[in-house]
Amino acid sequence: MKTFIAILGATTVLGVVGSAFAADAGQLAMGKERFDYWCDTCHAGDPREAGRFLPGTASLNAKYNGSRPGALVDRTDLLPPYVELVIRKGMEGMPFFRKTEISDTEMKAIAAYLSRNTRQ
Amino acid sequence: MPIKLPPGISAATFAEAVKEFQGAVGADWVFTSEEDLDTYRDAYSISWGHDDEYLASAAVAPDTVEQVQAVVRIANKYKIPVYAISTGKNLTYGGSAPTYSGSVVVDLKRMKRVLKVDDKRNFALVEPGCSYYDLYQHIKDRGLKVWIDCPDPGWGSPIGNALDHGIGYTASPYRDHWGAHCGMEVVLPNGEIMRTGMGASPTSDTWQDYKYAVGPHVDGLFAQGNFGIVTKMGFWLFPQPESWMTGTVHVPKYSDYSALVDHCNYLEDAHLATGQTGYGSNLGGQGVTAAPEYRALMANGWPTIEQLDAYAAQRKVPAWRAKLQFYGPEKAVRASWAYAQRRISAAIPGATFTDVEFSTLPLSPAQEKTHHLVNFGIPNMAIFQIVARPAAGPNNANPYDGHTDFFAVVSRSGSEVFRAMKAVYDIQKELKIDPITATPFSSPVTWHHKVFFMGAGGVGNQRGDAEHNRRMRALYAAYIEKMAAAGFPAYRTNPGAQDLLVKQFSFNDHALLRFQEALKDAVDPNGILSPGRYGIWPKHLRQKKA
Repeated sequence: MKTFIAILGATTVLGVVGSAFAADAGQLAMGKERFDYWCDTCHAGDPREAGRFLPGTASLNAKYNGSRPGALVDRTDLLPPYVELVIRKGMEGMPFFRKTEISDTEMKAIAAYLSRNTRQ
Repeated sequence: MPIKLPPGISAATFAEAVKEFQGAVGADWVFTSEEDLDTYRDAYSISWGHDDEYLASAAVAPDTVEQVQAVVRIANKYKIPVYAISTGKNLTYGGSAPTYSGSVVVDLKRMKRVLKVDDKRNFALVEPGCSYYDLYQHIKDRGLKVWIDCPDPGWGSPIGNALDHGIGYTASPYRDHWGAHCGMEVVLPNGEIMRTGMGASPTSDTWQDYKYAVGPHVDGLFAQGNFGIVTKMGFWLFPQPESWMTGTVHVPKYSDYSALVDHCNYLEDAHLATGQTGYGSNLGGQGVTAAPEYRALMANGWPTIEQLDAYAAQRKVPAWRAKLQFYGPEKAVRASWAYAQRRISAAIPGATFTDVEFSTLPLSPAQEKTHHLVNFGIPNMAIFQIVARPAAGPNNANPYDGHTDFFAVVSRSGSEVFRAMKAVYDIQKELKIDPITATPFSSPVTWHHKVFFMGAGGVGNQRGDAEHNRRMRALYAAYIEKMAAAGFPAYRTNPGAQDLLVKQFSFNDHALLRFQEALKDAVDPNGILSPGRYGIWPKHLRQKKA
């Protein structure tokens, strides 16, 4: 568990200084579609706009307290390996996802989509 | 975690079996690496990381019924235990982990087809990997005029949820998901396919309309059981109602609760208020246990009804409320609400009525932002707020990694609810739980239309905190045993507690379990299918356990 937290910390820091990631339009489209299917239900943008409690966005809002957006689609510091790690290992109350739910290809597409705004 | 082999199976034999599984479903759909098998752990296990955590030896993901048959035949050939999951989201009741370590998980997520939805005869036929979201979207995309009934987590499987006696939130005929099923297709432990009910007739078109064929109705063997792998299942659907109405009844005295429950039972059973009734006490709520007047009330132990009546009178608020919900044509729901008010006013002096709301259906997009969506058959994930990090509070820095539900079955009567809430209180007091969450103002939930479920809070898990999880396991076991001793067994539980729960159903020296074991030995002689699920162990493992 400690190792896992250390990896998350390292990737988050790297995310701030990392470079942008190449992804083609097809991969980004797949990433958005799969994000909307699997993740949006907890991690959508504005909870008031969504009109329902969004456990992921609410939890990250509380965690970052304004220093980072709670909505994943608004983040500009996410690195693909970090996103992939959370998908396969889970995070706190968020369980992990099996390959029968999100394949490796789909996972990489979601990671590319969420890191599309990560700058150098 | 190190990979476990199926008990009694050598590495060489297991490797042969894995090769055959790969031949049956394709190499890409057999998972044996530690990394992959980590995703078949129970994310909410209170045994996480302990010796008694249930772990898979491999996972196999068939895409067709024929592949399921092949997997079961291979398992029989090698005497390897297998454990089927649907969407694998039965969190708090086992997730995607098996009930017997070393089992091969048969992951049915790829079988996610919606096979049929009929909005004239109002039913659906689906595969196990289909989620509530999938079925909802299928119906929405086609503009069909039927509702699904979903539980809180929308990513669950209608089949998996019904098979574990899950429940929901719309009208009474549909909230009991098992009760609303009609017809199933099952791969038996010998690999043969069977269809139940009218599905057994090669000529009938009523598989999803009429539950019974002739002779014994065997569907129940496949719920919370281990007699087959369900590959198709039908569900009755709620024809989209024209409107919805709600109104809340308040009664002044604490002791009015029994009469309130009796009248709400009448309204639901007479099909007048078929929506879920929401009970609550105006004397309870968040922070109540910290209030000085509450501490004074509880200073000498559990109060009498007379003391609670006096407490309510002093507070000058109605002691209890019940939010009724009506579905149907406008005239009918308005008339039902008017009747409910007349009936309760005549029977309970001082009853008042508030919070009346009427809406035509479907809800508008704006209404969907303000209403409890599951009451309208709309899947969502809002319930996960119970494990999300709150904006403020003790769990902000270290939120739970999951939770383990405990809900006891309680009859729909005020006196039994009073007994059940005191039973939870007594357990928490005995185990020195701080703070005690059970109060004389606790309310049951009304998911099922014929019984109440009384929850007992305080079982959250921390994957990295072994001592915390040990305490949680002890608390959970105490709930199982002591609530059953008081007359309130749980309706469902996680794999680690299934033996203990089944033990509580002991009439005539456990005649029910012994009958199930006799059937198990007959239809699954090698004991390969989900050994141990809800306490049903095959013969060779019963002997080992004895």
